[in-house]
Amino acid sequence: MTAYLVAIGTFVGIYAILALALNVQWGFSGLVNLGLVGFFAIGAYSTALLTVHGQPFIIGLAAAILLAALFGALLAMASLRLKEDFLAIVTLGFGEILRLFLINEDWLTKGTNGIKAIPRPWRQAFSGGYEYFYLFLVIVAVLLVYLILERVRIAPYGRVLRAIREDEEIASVAGKNTFRFKVQAFSLGAALAGLGGFLYAHYITYISPDTFVPALTIYIWVALMAGGSGNNGGAILGAVVLLGFLEGTRFLKDFIPFLSDVRLAATREIMVGVFLILLILYRREGILPERKTIP
Amino acid sequence: MAPQFFQFLFNGAVYGGLLALPTIGFSLLYKVLRFPNFAFGTYLTCGAYTALVFNVELGQPILVALVAAMVVTAGVGVAIDQITFRKLRNQRALAVAIVSIGVVFILENIARFIWGGGLHYYRIPVHRDVQFLGIHMGKPQMAIFTTALAFMMLVQLLLKRTRLGKAMRALADNSTLAEIKGINTERMIMITTAIGGGLSGASGVFLGIDTVIEPMMGFSIILSIFAGAILGGIGNARGAMMGAMAIGLAEEVSLVALPSTYKSAVGLAIIILILILRPSGFTKR
Repeated sequence: MTAYLVAIGTFVGIYAILALALNVQWGFSGLVNLGLVGFFAIGAYSTALLTVHGQPFIIGLAAAILLAALFGALLAMASLRLKEDFLAIVTLGFGEILRLFLINEDWLTKGTNGIKAIPRPWRQAFSGGYEYFYLFLVIVAVLLVYLILERVRIAPYGRVLRAIREDEEIASVAGKNTFRFKVQAFSLGAALAGLGGFLYAHYITYISPDTFVPALTIYIWVALMAGGSGNNGGAILGAVVLLGFLEGTRFLKDFIPFLSDVRLAATREIMVGVFLILLILYRREGILPERKTIP
Repeated sequence: MAPQFFQFLFNGAVYGGLLALPTIGFSLLYKVLRFPNFAFGTYLTCGAYTALVFNVELGQPILVALVAAMVVTAGVGVAIDQITFRKLRNQRALAVAIVSIGVVFILENIARFIWGGGLHYYRIPVHRDVQFLGIHMGKPQMAIFTTALAFMMLVQLLLKRTRLGKAMRALADNSTLAEIKGINTERMIMITTAIGGGLSGASGVFLGIDTVIEPMMGFSIILSIFAGAILGGIGNARGAMMGAMAIGLAEEVSLVALPSTYKSAVGLAIIILILILRPSGFTKR
């Protein structure tokens, strides 16, 4: 039972980092990312490929964060000159095409077989209880990201992002280079998703394209909208709620035994979709609304 | 090489034709409602499975199934608009776009719940391909192309020759002005959604005939629909048809040089190229 709770805790932490990443983009700055899973995948694959070939973890971490940030900046620069809507379709396409790339480019990604035996940091130093240590690492990462993003939110920088989100014209009349702010914010979010990918790859030790499906992006959207878009604490709370729901529905099978696995999964996805729509229709601010006043 | 090229050209014309149908409604509604409705791709899936029920389970001929798919998908489109999008008129466009992604998720999984994740096919009579100049032209494919063209001409007639069509165009052109002139916006949105849904449903049946029926079939072409709409100028029905035809051709002809797995990347590449080369946008006035 404790092993189960530790595993759930680690997943909550990784989802929380993804929700925080989306919070910088959508919550702070109003930028849509429908390909969040793509940045997560870039982080996971870059560190996995480097570390299985003997590179140190720090190189893997740097590559995961920087590559994701680079792709985020490029996509944002390409699409944000026009309407913001185009960021939605470009990121959606990016996530899908990256997945096709992961499936088809065997020479690099091992295709659908995935990458196995990804090393775990400081594994040799433990004879037992490594899972606790990894949970601790993930919690430290979540705290660190939370503190950085709280700083960003309170700082004048965060105020500019919110101004852009509410009314870009006014922000640019006030002399802000809104394009640059938007590209930076989007890139920062992408970098954090890359960090999430790093933590995921070294925890699971096996990654394949099956993990990086569009549904994951929807999950994180639901987590952020449920927890409270614009609120960093809300993003973390949303990850807890999401995982509670996903794990809870697992036990649905005990109550409805005639439901096949495919139907059970479909029911769960339908519930997630309905939940997302209801949140946007009736409770846009989520459980923890964005704080309007800054200390 | 040459016959192969013509083969891709033929395939591209067929694919472009079926792609044009959902792009019309997507483009018009994008302009009027100011958000990209990602559910349009999934309306194809909805039509494809409706026709599957009529064709395979009820044993009806494919033409009956096609009509049923159009009617049901039009209804589903209007129902979704009334239940979700209508409550969000005048809200931030991007939040509504997220809702449409939620709709995609729900519809796709309803299909998965009922029919499973596997592949399905229609029961249609098998014909020998017609051979012409070394290219194989399937009879179903030729039927798809001609039917799609006929639908496009009907839409064109509706838009240019009828009061209803004029009102629809006026709304896409300038919704404030159209409303001042006494056009009932909500009614027009409903009619456009129904027509767009019906055409998407038909397109889904065509896609099911041309390829296979599976839950993700419709959403997987949303990039191409989007690319076609941008290429033709958002809100421009004729542009949408021509843009979608061009995208369909480009995707199939790209197979000359590109592995087929990256076919869907062509639409995205074209979108990005347009964004970089014409940052001023394509809606010509």
